[in-house]
Parts: sequence; structure tokens; C-alpha cells
Amino acid sequence: MKHSLYAGAAAIALMAGSVQAQGELLHAVGDGSFDWDGFQAFADAHDLSGESLTIFGPWLAGEGQSFENLVAYFDEATGADSSYVGSDSLEQQILIDAAAGSAPNLTVFPQPGLAANMAKNGYLTPLAEGSADWIKDNFAAGQSWVDLGTFENAEGNRDFYGFFFNVNVKSLVWYIPENFEDFGYEVPQTMEDFKALMEQMVADGETPLCVGLASGGATGWPATDWVEDLMLRTQPPEVYDQWVSNEMKFDDPRVIEVIEEYGSFTRNDDYVVGDADDTAAIDFRDSPKGLFDSPPACMMHRQASFIPAYFPEGTELGVDADFFYFPAYAEKDLGTPVLGAGTLFTVTNPNPAAEAFMEFLQTPFAHEIMMSQDGFLTPHLGANPENYANDTQRGQGEILTNATTFRFDGSDLMPGAVGAGTFWTGMVDYSSGAKDAATVAGEIQSSWDAAK
Amino acid sequence: MSDIAGTKPALRWVVQASVVLLVALWVIPTVGLLVSSFRTADQISGSGWWRSMFPSEQNLTLRSAAPETQVQQGDLYVIEGTLFDDDQQAAISRWGISAREVDAYAPGETAELRRGGTITVDADGTYRMENAEEFSGNRGVRVFVTATQSPEFTLDNYRKVLFSSSGDDSMGRAFFSTLTVTIPATIIPILVAAFAAYALAWMEFPGRALLIAAVVGLLVVPLQLALIPLLKFHLNIGIGKGYLGVWLAHTGFGMPLAIYLLRNYMAGLPRDLIENARVDGATEFQIFTKLILPLSFPALASFAIFQFLWTWNDLLVAKVFLIDATGQTTVMTNRIVELLGTRGGNWEILATAAFVSIAVPLVVFFAMQKYLVRGLLAGSVK
Repeated sequence: MKHSLYAGAAAIALMAGSVQAQGELLHAVGDGSFDWDGFQAFADAHDLSGESLTIFGPWLAGEGQSFENLVAYFDEATGADSSYVGSDSLEQQILIDAAAGSAPNLTVFPQPGLAANMAKNGYLTPLAEGSADWIKDNFAAGQSWVDLGTFENAEGNRDFYGFFFNVNVKSLVWYIPENFEDFGYEVPQTMEDFKALMEQMVADGETPLCVGLASGGATGWPATDWVEDLMLRTQPPEVYDQWVSNEMKFDDPRVIEVIEEYGSFTRNDDYVVGDADDTAAIDFRDSPKGLFDSPPACMMHRQASFIPAYFPEGTELGVDADFFYFPAYAEKDLGTPVLGAGTLFTVTNPNPAAEAFMEFLQTPFAHEIMMSQDGFLTPHLGANPENYANDTQRGQGEILTNATTFRFDGSDLMPGAVGAGTFWTGMVDYSSGAKDAATVAGEIQSSWDAAK
Repeated sequence: MSDIAGTKPALRWVVQASVVLLVALWVIPTVGLLVSSFRTADQISGSGWWRSMFPSEQNLTLRSAAPETQVQQGDLYVIEGTLFDDDQQAAISRWGISAREVDAYAPGETAELRRGGTITVDADGTYRMENAEEFSGNRGVRVFVTATQSPEFTLDNYRKVLFSSSGDDSMGRAFFSTLTVTIPATIIPILVAAFAAYALAWMEFPGRALLIAAVVGLLVVPLQLALIPLLKFHLNIGIGKGYLGVWLAHTGFGMPLAIYLLRNYMAGLPRDLIENARVDGATEFQIFTKLILPLSFPALASFAIFQFLWTWNDLLVAKVFLIDATGQTTVMTNRIVELLGTRGGNWEILATAAFVSIAVPLVVFFAMQKYLVRGLLAGSVK
């Protein structure tokens, strides 16, 4: 009796297992302002009937679904049988799978650092000839993207491995337009205006900023974003690159100055919600909620483009909440630098379908379908911005395509022990008032020396 | 003697008080989790679960109906409605229309709108906007209210966890895959370990003590060490990633504890019993099946509980040996992680998923818990 029950359960599980989560074709072929000609041309050039493709990436839930919807179009065009699996522990799992030889065809890495390691161990296959040139010509700030996707392989040769797809912009300040209206505030165009606005808010008895640095084991990362953003606003991009590669030491006076600059925003009881020493105890996911309090706990929140996911339910972007570009100093003449991050596609187990999918990602169509869903930004110049799902996303996309300088999140490029270790903890020490900027910078530098 | 007898009630009192304390320590967080699983994300971040049972005074930001709903009454353009949803019960004590002063007006008072016109809000949330000219724009005005709200609970979280997205991808499928992983992964190690434990406890052969020492030594080897070599091995011999692989992996990882636990229990069984059976001409296999197995039932059951709970809650082994990039297989723990989303932080989903996933282990535990303590103690205390 018991055994037949188990057998029954197993049979049901196996049958249920054969049904698969699938994306759907959001728009019928030919509908809307998408690049259907490009889609058709791609479909005509590729016939992959009977081929299968596995893709492994970091996106779960809604984001994963959006990507599956894109994969559905690829299957529609080529006849391939593709599947996407998301994981929040991709970093560990891909290492195990690659080492054991069961890697998926394509892997989407959340940061270039990990992909660089994989390339060094010989687990990645370089992208087709000409991919790098294509990126240079078709992405805004193309050379930055090529450099970010180029890694050393086991023999020490540099090759182009990573195609950036799904980018987010970090240089954003979120606010509630109606609150600004109630108080008569204007969106600041320069950093000087931004600081004057903060003073104005304090004079009105309001708190300018909501800052939250807590994020479980990654506590401190929002502060590293602040420092990187301010670095790009006070120093030329070349200095930023030297800093990220440690040609300029972490305890250089210029770095200390930037950390202190960060402190001038957040180490001031008047400027932040609660005690300035406590920002590291506030969860970054909860921190934006202060904007929506009644009466508002704070007026502005500097955070990347993904943060609306943590706004209260039913918040309509562009009306209930909006963003402006975290402005640059007018006097420094450094243009409009943009800090961002993104995920990159790599080939971990080559087959014809994987090659075709990488070509598919070059079509404007692939970007447009993703743009029409939430939370996707692209530097692809050929993709039609009309396809963005809403004005907020379009605005962020424009920040990306108009950037005079694009720099990748520096902490993701530094060695893991620093960028995902001492830089985070150091910023927590500094933010809680335990140590001053010079001490923190010195400690981070010595951990960097130790990591070499 | 009377002194000692006299201390007993006090001692008993201390024991009972500490039991109550321990129970409270365990139950309070669980109740909090249960209550949270019926609240929305906004409620969870807004106030603690212990306040959710009582009416609470809250500052809310609400919005009037959009100008497109206005009607003309005589010379006036009017928008009427209620700020709350139909099923919401609340009493407004103060209200305002600017973030500057959210409690500027009492119910029944009338405020001048910045863009022209007036608004009157009553205590029950009904409002009336009047304007000599047409209301413009496409959104209603914000109304800040200080209101006392009755408690509110929702089943949406359970709906989302159990039946979310495309139906075939829901918890139901993951539930059956988890059972498919868990049941064989509990039975196989018990079968193998029972034989081994009997041999190690009652059969004389050279090197027995060394073998026992080796098994005990294996208890301290972390399974993470074996992940990559074992997966490589599985791929080489053609098992690949799948149910068979995950059963074998769980069996292997559970074996040292199983053998150790069962051997200690079996070694404690009375020697006379087994020797009598031998004298009566019973074979080793008969002794094992007719005597040892029935007598070892508490130990078998307690190990079964351990192994079942561990494989039920396992994510690591399933991710390495079962879940491949085709997305055909999943387990409940993995499904819960997926529901949490890329950046985590969905407390309402976490609380709900926790309650869904502990349902089966609770049943197993209560069905077999009388063996748990007996089996554990019998192995260690002689």
C-alpha cells in the first residue's frame, strides 16, 4: 500500500516535471513599433529545429519571466528548444557546474569579476570574431563595454568574452514630485544646486535624505555606490580607472577626500533620517519607504534604477515617484558621468544555438522586447526608445545613451576580498562613526595588498 | 530527608517555569511568522505583527478620484467619493492636503486646493470637491489622513505562494518533486545503514573496530568537500543530474550518521537474546530480520525523522545534483528562493513559504516524535 503510494507520488512528480515554465510571445509578430524586419531577417537566417539551448542566469521571479518572454521569441524565430533557469546562488553553482563539466550553454553573470575568473580557468568560450567591434559601434560609450567584457584566458591572452545585456543606472536620485510641489522645490541641475536644496530642506524643517546601507552579508554596498558616484563627480574618469585597478592607492588623499565628501552628505544628523551613525542599520530595501511616509520622513533617496521594486505597492512611476540624475558639479567640468552596473552573457558550453542566441542579442529587436517590460535598460543605440514601458525607464535609458562617461560599479571590478569585502565593511565603519576616512582607506589598501 | 522532600516543589516549580519560558521562546517567533504571513508587504514594513490584531492609528496618503469623474451640478463642477476601499473601516481624526501640514484640518472642514476649488473630507472618508471651473489634469489630489483603522488580513500571500504564475510552475509541482527526492532519500540510507549497523554491532570480523572508527571519522567531513568530485563522477558514469543522482548523494551524505546511530542502538540490545537465537539455530539474516529490526524500531524511526527533515529542507544538494539548466526539475526550497526574487527582502513571501514548507515535516514529526527521544537516548546513554 505504502509502496504504491510512493510510486504514485513519483509518477505524478515525473509527469508534472515534463511541463515546463515557458515565456510567452507578448506581442503578435508584426504588432507595435518593434523592429519586426530585423526579427524576420534573423528568423530567415537561422534554422535550429531540434537544437536545444540552456541559459543560466541571476534573474528570478518577475525579471526571470521577462527574460523568458524574450527567449520565447528566439524559439519562435529559430525553432530551437530553449530554457532559462535562474538562481540566486549563481556565483557558487556555476563554479561547481563548470568544474564538473555540466555547464549550461550560456551563462549570464551578474558582475564581470566572476566571469573574469571563469575565463582564467578556461571555462569560457570567446565570442565570435567582430563582436567587440560591433559593441564599440553600436553601444553608447562602446569602448567601455568592450573593455569590461574582455578578459585574460588561461594562456594570458586577452579575448572578448562578455556581452552586456540588461544594464542598470546607479546615478539616480528618487523623489516624490508632489512633495516637491507642496514645498516649492525645484529639481536641481548641478551639484551646487543639490547641496543648496538640501540646506533649504533643513531650513524648512525637513530631512533631505533617506540612507540605508544594510543588506545582510553585503551590508555597506550602497555606500560604495555613493563613493563611486562622487569619485566620478570630483575626479576625471582616468583617476577612477586608476583607483579601480589600484594604480592609485586606496589611501590616496583624493580617495580620502571623496569618502569625506560622502560623509558630508550622510554623516550629518540634519541630512539623514534618524541618527547619522545608524545608517548601516537601516535595510536598503526599507530605506526608500521614508519618501512615502505621511508626513514624509525624507525628501530624496539616491539609489540605482532597480529600487522602485521596493516602493510601496501600487506606486506609479513618473507620477507618484520620479527620479532625477544625481547631478555633477558645474564648476568641475567633468561632463555628465554615469555610474552603472549590468549583467553579461557568456558562452560556457558552445553549440550552434548558443552562437545564434548571441547574434540574436545584437538585434535591436531583442533589446526592444526587453525594454517594453519593466526594469530593463540598454545602451544599444539602434533600439527604438519609444519601446520603453514607461517614461521613467525611457528617462533612465536616455541618461545611459547620453552619458559622456560611463563607468562600471567599481566595487564589482575590484578583487572580491576588497570590492565585496573590506570596501563594504570599511564603509560601514566609516558610516557608523567608528573610524575616520583616512583609517578606513588605509585598512582597505592593506587588505588589497594582501589580496594580490 | 524531610529537607530534601521539602525542596521538591520548588524544584518542580523552577522546571515548569523554565519549560514555559522555553515554549514561549519558540512559539512567539512562530506566531509572529504566522501572523506576518497574512499581512501585506506594506503592513509588515509599517508596523509590527503584535500590533496587527488591534485597531491602529495610522498616517495614510490617499488619493481622490481623477478629474475625469467630475460632474456638473449647477454652476459647480463636483467630484464625490470615498477615500477608502469599500471593505475598509476607518475613522479619520485629522487630514490635510499638503505634505507640509498633514493634519491641518478636522473632519468636516473645507480646504482650498492649490489648483483651484475646495475639498471637504468627512470622518468616514467621504469627500466632496467643488470648483467653479473644470478640474484639470488626469490624477486626483493627494489627501493625507490620520485615521484609526480596524485590523486587516489577507490570503493573497498564500495564493501567491501556492498558485503563482503559470500554474504548472507552481508550488504543487515542486511539492511532488520534493517528495520524489525525499522519500527514497530517506528509505535507501535506512536500508543500507541497518545492515551495516548490525554487522558492525554483532558480527565478529577482523578490522571491525577500525571500520567503526572510520565511520565515526566520516561524521566530521563536510559534504561541501565532495560536491564537485561526486558530480564529476556522476557525469562520467552517465547518471548526470537527476533524481537518481540526488538519491545517491543524500544516501552517501546521510550514511555515517545513520550507521553510527543505529550501531550504537543495536549494540545496546541484550546479548543473551542474540546468543539464544544463535543457539536455537537462527541464521544471521533471521536474527537481523526477526529480532534486531523490530527491536530497533525507535532508532530507525528517529533517524528517519532526521533524514527526512534534512532532505526536505535541503537546497544545496538539490541545486548541485538535481537542478540543471533545463529547468525541468525543482524542489520546494528552490521554488521559495525563486519566489523571493532577485534581491530578496519579500518578508510576506518568506513567512508564507515557511509555513507552507513546514506543513509536511510537522506531520512527520508529530506522527513519529515518541520514537525520537527514545531512539536518541538509547543510542548514547546506557
